[in-house]
Amino acid sequence: MRESSLMMLHYAAAVVLLVTGSIHLMKNNIPGMEIHGPLYLVNMLIFVSALMYHAMNGVRVILIELMPKRSRAISYIILVLGIIIYLYIANLVIALVR
Amino acid sequence: MEERWILFKVFRYNPKVDKFPHWDGFKVKVDRGTTVLDALLRIKEEDPTLAVRYSCRQSICGSCGMMINGKPRLACYTRVLSLGTDMVEVAPLKNFRIIKDLVVDFSDFFKKERSIYPFIIRSDAEEMMNPTGAYKQTEEELLKYLEFADCIECGCCYAACPTTATDPLYLGPQALNKAYRFIMDNRDEGAKLRLSVVDSDHGCWRCHFAASCSNVCPKGVDPAKAIQFLKGVIMREKTVGFKKEGTTLIKMSCLKEDQRSE
Repeated sequence: MRESSLMMLHYAAAVVLLVTGSIHLMKNNIPGMEIHGPLYLVNMLIFVSALMYHAMNGVRVILIELMPKRSRAISYIILVLGIIIYLYIANLVIALVR
Repeated sequence: MEERWILFKVFRYNPKVDKFPHWDGFKVKVDRGTTVLDALLRIKEEDPTLAVRYSCRQSICGSCGMMINGKPRLACYTRVLSLGTDMVEVAPLKNFRIIKDLVVDFSDFFKKERSIYPFIIRSDAEEMMNPTGAYKQTEEELLKYLEFADCIECGCCYAACPTTATDPLYLGPQALNKAYRFIMDNRDEGAKLRLSVVDSDHGCWRCHFAASCSNVCPKGVDPAKAIQFLKGVIMREKTVGFKKEGTTLIKMSCLKEDQRSE
């Protein structure tokens, strides 16, 4: 995957974070705002996916700058690590929201 | 005319002989017009072993870039009294390998510049080899890249860049600025080739927009802006497609006499 594709997803994830994060905040802080069931679960899963991608790509960019000659290895390690953490958090979210 | 004695603290290091770098102090009498380069040349009369690179003395060649009071500047373009300090610290440019004293190795810098094809690329090779006319360029088309074309390759932006300091493989502001300059030139047909180079792990995406490069450029070029525009070009190329107006060849017979002589 070219660097521009990864960065485009990075920016898109930031926008998705703003939208889904706002819904999450409103649901928890505005009295009377009721969002339940599968709709809220989908929102939370999208939120966690965007958050994980944005965060892990940010870490990847920092590490590539610190260890420029290991960029490919860093990308793969971050990918594997990201999938493992994502699966754990996604399971947690499903359990909590349900 | 006001004259003052200024202490010059000069970085000295010969990797072939010295184990560690050290600083030497020299007192130089300066007046309003004395540049740092003038002062260094006076120091060189006193100590001929001091290595300093210079050529044109009028900020055109870009040879005398160095750290002056901690900031990358051209020695020939910096007047000593304008610095406003009684002591002037002169050191080699950061992010470059030191050859001796104030002279640094530009080979990596130029290697990165060559990697982005810093020249007009065209498919009509025959016309390039045996020109029969001139390529048309309107003022509007010229203005798309003119502000980025003033680079004199002095290396000041490269020395100021925080990303270059941590990532030696990063292409650097100078090369990226030049890539954008040629991509926006309507005579050029090598945009795709250049974009494939700059859209990489160590290309334009590593710029954090600290804008130190633009801050120190002695020619007023804005490489940070060029890099952000370059990211925009790549995004356009990936989404709606990047297209630019081409140019037309005006045959020699159609040109006026004075244009022909040019």
